[in-house]
Amino acid sequence: MVSSSEATVKLREVAKRYEDIVAVDYIDLDVKYGEILGILGPNGSGKTTTLKMILGLIKPDSGSVNVLGINTKDDPVAVKRQVGYVPETPRLYEFLTGLEYLDFIADIYGLSVSEKEARIKEYLVALELEGREGDMISSYSQGMKQKTALISAFLHKPKLLLLDEPLSGLDPRSARIVKDLLRKLTAQGITTIMSTHILEIAQAMCDRIAIMYEGKLLALGTMKELRQKARLPGSDLEDIFLKLTGTEDIRDVVEALLR
Amino acid sequence: MNWRNVLRLISVDVKSGRLVRGQRLRKYRERRIFQYLLYGGACVLGLIIGIGAGTFYAGVADPTLKAQFHQGALYLFLSFPSLVLISSLVFTMMSQIQRMGVKSSIQPPYWLPITWEEHTLASTLANIMGIPSIFLILLSSAIATVSIYLEQVPLAILTIFTLLPSAFLASTTTEIFRVLLARLIGAVYKSTGKAAIWVRFLGTMVFLVVFYIVWFSFTSGTGSIVLIQAVAGAQEAVWFVPYVWLGMVLAAFASGMLAQTLIFTLASLLFILILFYGAVKLNTRFGLYEAPAITVSRGVYAPKVGFLGKLGFSSLEAAVIKKDFKAFTRRRELMFVFIMPLVVILMPLMQYAGILGGPVPPEASRFLFALIVLAPAAMMAIMLGFMIIGSEGGSVWLFFSSPINARSLVKCKYAFVIILSFVVMSICSVIGILVTRPSPDIAIALLIESILLIFALGSVSLGAGIRGADFTEVPRPRMVRPLTVLVYGLLCLVFASAIFSPLFLHAVTMAYIPIPLPLPKMALSIAVVISAVIALVVTFVFYKIALKNAEQFLVKAEI
Repeated sequence: MVSSSEATVKLREVAKRYEDIVAVDYIDLDVKYGEILGILGPNGSGKTTTLKMILGLIKPDSGSVNVLGINTKDDPVAVKRQVGYVPETPRLYEFLTGLEYLDFIADIYGLSVSEKEARIKEYLVALELEGREGDMISSYSQGMKQKTALISAFLHKPKLLLLDEPLSGLDPRSARIVKDLLRKLTAQGITTIMSTHILEIAQAMCDRIAIMYEGKLLALGTMKELRQKARLPGSDLEDIFLKLTGTEDIRDVVEALLR
Repeated sequence: MNWRNVLRLISVDVKSGRLVRGQRLRKYRERRIFQYLLYGGACVLGLIIGIGAGTFYAGVADPTLKAQFHQGALYLFLSFPSLVLISSLVFTMMSQIQRMGVKSSIQPPYWLPITWEEHTLASTLANIMGIPSIFLILLSSAIATVSIYLEQVPLAILTIFTLLPSAFLASTTTEIFRVLLARLIGAVYKSTGKAAIWVRFLGTMVFLVVFYIVWFSFTSGTGSIVLIQAVAGAQEAVWFVPYVWLGMVLAAFASGMLAQTLIFTLASLLFILILFYGAVKLNTRFGLYEAPAITVSRGVYAPKVGFLGKLGFSSLEAAVIKKDFKAFTRRRELMFVFIMPLVVILMPLMQYAGILGGPVPPEASRFLFALIVLAPAAMMAIMLGFMIIGSEGGSVWLFFSSPINARSLVKCKYAFVIILSFVVMSICSVIGILVTRPSPDIAIALLIESILLIFALGSVSLGAGIRGADFTEVPRPRMVRPLTVLVYGLLCLVFASAIFSPLFLHAVTMAYIPIPLPLPKMALSIAVVISAVIALVVTFVFYKIALKNAEQFLVKAEI
């Protein structure tokens, strides 16, 4: 159990390689209790690998990952019990109905009958899945599947949320509900780490932002700190991101394509 | 009709066979030499068959016998269009069933400038590529060659010309059947509501049973000869059925009735056209039809305290068992696990019903009862054990990210294997007892034996299934590595033989099986006890192995 002054997640000298490719290159990261941390980075920068290492889905080649005071190597099941995870492309059991799936997830996390009944109903109403919960997931749209995956991550009231592109495929109303919900959960002390490509969402929602590039942690801090680091006062996250990742030569690329 | 579009679509459709075969291509152009070799091989084989049959015919000295052969060959010529029609129907429908099992379906590219006529024609022609066309080439080559010896070259040429339309007729019928079936299934789902899941499951089972009964009837024993005789004989009696008109063309030509030959030729062409445009109309209307969502439950959500919880399973374990039960009754690719027990039980039942030949001798009934009680349940335990972990497919991330430990994983998966195998055993036992009427002691002994096999083989295959799990889902779920199945399948066979050996010895010493062995008589009860000891040891050891494999599986989870 961690106190509110401690970091919920501690990564120390964590590295992961896939043969010749360096996915994560010796990063150190502390995620504070009750904050929303956004991880940004171009494709292949190591965001998803980092998230998976935090949950213990991928073993780091070196370094240590400590979640809620537990080393993921020592007791991965204890870590998983307290984490809610939504992968980038959640594969759900399509032969189950939405309700059956959530009931299954609630049982996996050992929720009591009354708890699961109340929470499933609440979330179904909140994310507007009511009326379709009895249909098989195979007939759901991408957004509905994403909502189901999000509910399944929230259902057991985890202490840490690991969300990989959580708002992908959601309609504006549902996206807003999820954003507000995450803010409220943060106020209750739940820590969230989310990876996203949508910079506006990261800027609006996250307390701190980590920018990853080629497996390295290029920058970490609040918007103000990032502006200072990039020496771009008053600029938005897009400009900061492009400057820090060295991918600001967009105009040349577009012109080359038009030629 | 844009013929280039048709050709391109055929090429795409034929390549969809890669989904079934699970081919992975890295080159821009694939080498088709193997395909051409197959067609060439069929042509050469037909030539050899034709020369062989012709030489045999030429060598017959007895004029009566020669006349009989000549008449028989002509009879066969006349039945070829109908035989090709039937075989093409079977092959094209089998191909559609195979495609149903493949995850990625082939959707008509409706957003491209392609008409439904082009799409339907391409789909129909592509369906007869592969085995049906190889069969056509072989047949044509053989007919052409043998006709020289029979001096029936004009009839042979006409026969060859009727074969392709026959295959086309069959393929068009399959196309119509496929579209109508998709629409019908959708309507059934809609009207049956909550029961749709069970309607689909039972419908699939009934379809498979009927399919296999027809298949066994035609392919076992004298079935195929009976079929040829029936087709040739019945053709003229049912001349009003358009499907036999191509055969009637040949019959009229062979009898020298040219006017009738012309009439049946024109009628056949008209029928093919009507059928094809019927398929086009159906495709236009329902080609992009998507079955409505299956609504399994409606109304207020009221979670239940499960029965499995009362049996000592934790909520997590019970949830996984319930989920697996739903998977095996709802996922089409998993429903096929029930085919093996069905096939095993169908053969002896058809034997009893007299479909596959004469009556069953009384001494064989004991063997058939053992087959019905032991084989399906044991096979079920082995198959389920192998595939139960790999069947998770891409959704396995949930197992890795949720708080499930090795002990719970093995416990719930093993329980599921045992429960479903018990269900199969119970059903088969009731059928076996009703059909073969065994003595009570034999019935009880074999039931115990079946239970022992389920426990032992279930633990062996589960351990292997965890170790050799393959979560690949595209082009179709693999579930377990082939090498694992081969190695552990053989191991299961060895253990099954070891467990059953005391009963075998009992049968030998009691002279139920006529093998002279200088051994004292072994009582049935002692045989069962020895069997149980062997089964318990196997179960215990392999359950431990399964636990160890599960620990490694969860630790090494890299997704």
